[in-house]
Amino acid sequence: MTVTVERGARAVGKHQDAGPRRPRTRDSYALFLLPGILAFTAIIIVPFLMNTGVSFTDWQGIGSPKWTGLANYRELMDDSEFWASFRHSLFMVVAMAAVPTVTGLVLAAALFDYIGKHFGSKWAAVLRACFYLPQVLPIAVAGIVWSWILAPDNGSLNELLKAVGLGSWQQDWLGDPGIALYSVMGVMVWVQIGFPLVVFMAGLQRVDPQLYEAAELDGAGWWRRFWHITLPQIRPEIYVVLTWCTIAALKVFGAVYVLTKGGPGGATDVPSYFSFSTFFEKTQVGYGAAISTVLTVIILALSLVFLKLQTRAEEGDRT
Amino acid sequence: MLTARRRVMTVTAAILGGSLLLTSCGGSDGGSSSDAKTLKLWHYEGPDSAMGVAWNEAIKEFKAKHPGVEVKFEEKGFDQIQKTAPMILNSSDTPDLMEYNKGNATAGALSKQGLLTDLTAEVTKRGWDKKLSAGVRTTSVYDTNGVMGSGKWYGVPNYAEYTMVFYNKDLFKKYGIAEPKTFDELTAAMGAFVKKGVTPLANAGAEYMAQQYLYQLALSRADRSWVDKYELYKGKTDFHDAAWTYGATTFADWVKKGYISKKSTGTKAEDAGVSFIQGKAPILFSGSWWYGRFQTEAKFDWDSSLWPGSDLTLGSGGNLWVVPKNAKNKDLAYDFIDITMSKKIQNLLGNKGGIPVAADTSAITDPKSKKLISDFNALSQKDGLAFYPDWPVTGFYDVLVSETQKLMTGSEKPDGYLDAVQQAYDKGAPKQ
Amino acid sequence: MTAALRRYPVLIALCIAALFMVVPFLIVAVNAVKSPAEYSRNGPLSLPDGLYLDGLKDFWQRVDYGQKLVNSVLISGSVAVLAAILSVLNAYAIGIGRIRGRTWVLAFFVLANMLPQEALVYPIYYLSKQVGLYDTRLSVVIVFTVIQAAFGTYLLSSVLGQFPREIIEAARIDGANKWQVLWRIVVPVSRPTIGVLLVFFFIWTWNEFLLPLVMLISNDNQTVSVALGVLQGQRLMDATMTNAAALLGVLPAVVFFLVFQRTLTRGIAVGAVK
Repeated sequence: MTVTVERGARAVGKHQDAGPRRPRTRDSYALFLLPGILAFTAIIIVPFLMNTGVSFTDWQGIGSPKWTGLANYRELMDDSEFWASFRHSLFMVVAMAAVPTVTGLVLAAALFDYIGKHFGSKWAAVLRACFYLPQVLPIAVAGIVWSWILAPDNGSLNELLKAVGLGSWQQDWLGDPGIALYSVMGVMVWVQIGFPLVVFMAGLQRVDPQLYEAAELDGAGWWRRFWHITLPQIRPEIYVVLTWCTIAALKVFGAVYVLTKGGPGGATDVPSYFSFSTFFEKTQVGYGAAISTVLTVIILALSLVFLKLQTRAEEGDRT
Repeated sequence: MLTARRRVMTVTAAILGGSLLLTSCGGSDGGSSSDAKTLKLWHYEGPDSAMGVAWNEAIKEFKAKHPGVEVKFEEKGFDQIQKTAPMILNSSDTPDLMEYNKGNATAGALSKQGLLTDLTAEVTKRGWDKKLSAGVRTTSVYDTNGVMGSGKWYGVPNYAEYTMVFYNKDLFKKYGIAEPKTFDELTAAMGAFVKKGVTPLANAGAEYMAQQYLYQLALSRADRSWVDKYELYKGKTDFHDAAWTYGATTFADWVKKGYISKKSTGTKAEDAGVSFIQGKAPILFSGSWWYGRFQTEAKFDWDSSLWPGSDLTLGSGGNLWVVPKNAKNKDLAYDFIDITMSKKIQNLLGNKGGIPVAADTSAITDPKSKKLISDFNALSQKDGLAFYPDWPVTGFYDVLVSETQKLMTGSEKPDGYLDAVQQAYDKGAPKQ
Repeated sequence: MTAALRRYPVLIALCIAALFMVVPFLIVAVNAVKSPAEYSRNGPLSLPDGLYLDGLKDFWQRVDYGQKLVNSVLISGSVAVLAAILSVLNAYAIGIGRIRGRTWVLAFFVLANMLPQEALVYPIYYLSKQVGLYDTRLSVVIVFTVIQAAFGTYLLSSVLGQFPREIIEAARIDGANKWQVLWRIVVPVSRPTIGVLLVFFFIWTWNEFLLPLVMLISNDNQTVSVALGVLQGQRLMDATMTNAAALLGVLPAVVFFLVFQRTLTRGIAVGAVK
């Protein structure tokens, strides 16, 4: 494999004459960005600006919008339910970013390094497919099935607890306001784990196996190898996964909608549900546009922090 | 390695080529067929439902009466039409005739925006208005503000719906409890069930069922003008009046007494219905939309009756046939509506488990369907259709679900419940 | 206990965990082959009495499921490939080209994902009507290519940021221009990551429902997720059919994953290149 790459590079250069080196211009890399920038401007930036424009109006989606200036934003600032729902977002971040990333890391290392080595890559691939499967199921259907599993009477979970003698642990998993949020978090972990797992396992392909061999020869156990070799090598993937899952957690809506509809009594309400219901159930498109603009700005600010941290870490690596 | 790359390349080329090819012929067929040769018809009732069967028959009859006219029927999803109707009606893709939800928030809103054709002339010409009772007519007419009850005709319903109490007679017999005929007997029966360790009422706290119990309890202490104030904004609605207070306190009381399971805060309507069919819940209070399903799937002896002790109950005319303003073949649309309002189709609808608005009662053969329709006729005659609690304000459904859940878990007292609901109602209802 | 025996508990633990992940699928499968009456009478968590496939046949004909599957494959496949290409181009410039203002450029692309989809609905509806692409599959392909490419750009540029410069330098010295370096060196080495992108993009686009619901009106253009929505009525839902249709709908995505899973493992360890 190594020979092919070098041969490829040499073959490419074979027909060029070895003249004086052209000064390398960083800017010509920017040309590669052209299709991306054009596409994104047309599909994202323009609609975003249109959306922001609509947020200054009162509009039902049809007919002509009525200009109302900052009225929507003022109403949003006073909307205590909206801001209270951000508290639930924090729980979602734990369930959708923190836990899956950590678990995904350990699982990826276990499947790649341990199972792959001792039992063959087939086992690793099969197990990975099993862990990824929840990501393939449409969330609407997953929600229905989980509501059956978590049903208070005759739900699988309560039946299982009864069967193993833990009957006293039975709960109204989705109907008890004190527990509903944790139940939703549990389902979110189930949904999300496959995503970091697949990303990390692909990233682990990049790690030079000689590093592992050398470490094993030096007597490093699995955990030491994980901490000192695996983690630093796939640092970019870890950043990407954490950032992406955090954005997803702040935007999460589908799973919550299907499981609890934000209930019971608002115990699992999330900011995105406000946005969605305002757009489509209340058809207050102007107000909905304001909500989504504020949401986007908040997510943008947080992502910029993550991105800056990531680039700084990468710069640090290079020095 | 080259073969792998070539494989990817060919797959890519095939997909791109294929997609461009298919997208070019998958687009909307814009400005064709304004020549009265096609009828573009949409609805979202399942093919096995009473409406689905009746309307399929109507399509056949339409084709027979209009040789040379092609009927382009597309079954849509309810969710898609609800979310995208304004967008579709504003484009060139609009159908000639479509089923749409009744109410101020839906048909009313569309009529206000000028997206629906005014049907008043056709209605009087063809005599559809004579066939519909007053309660059903309310949801077919909308004024300039999009409020139902008065104004021009914008939709024509073929069927109606109402709520009723479903009883599992076998369970009643098993526990030796008499079937209730009055409200007091109902309460007594529920108490008896609780003593035997059975939760009497099936409920769905996460969806519409819980709020419908509460509304019905309030209705039992209300009258027509009360409903007019609430649904048609004909006066100020006070949630602390006798009816609402009775509804909220009794509902909370029933949860405490165990008539409604406290563990039903998170259940869906589907689960409640299944628990009835399974024979777990002896009583279910919900709508006629369950009737056909119970007829096919419930293997025990069951019956239905109107809510005892109340002149009013939830219900309304069914979903409407609307003709978009931009429809190209309006006359064909009117002909189709006419066929669906004919005795033949209406009787078929009645015999398949639906509630027709203009059928021949003698032509209904199935005894259970007879009961269903006669109960509705009785209700309709005494002007007892009180619509639904979430109709007056957009987004009210979510508020009612959430607040009723809080009432069930006990985190809110009836007073607080009524305050919260009042606030949401005042915020969204048009100023009188 | 020898080292070999000590390994088995790990495998067994992982297998049990994997089983828990898969249990909901089994519930879907079990309900997919139940008759509606059976499901209502015995509840969703009971085992079926024999296989009931009539519902599935009816549904297939009712919504022309074959056409929906074709639409979904076409749209998801196109998006996967196009978005991967777009991501490669963007990530090359950002990760290897190290252009100025990288953080801001990245944020620009990731913005595509920060915007809640409902905010895009009305603008995209109006824009697509203006260019005559309303109710076409092409509009959905274009929109999702951009949305998915956000993640692709982000992941790939982060990974390429770690790409060893020496190989690029060596190729440049040998006279290769930027385009050739990209396709002859960078892409083959990044195959596992690009494989991840292809799989993710396909599956994410496959399960998208809001924008296809809004943009695809004619039944001929609709995707599997929109067709599933037909089963959710105003007040009633068809549970067994939903499960059956969902299972059918999931199969192509699963097949796609299994086929491309091999690219996830057939990469080149960059270190070995040295």
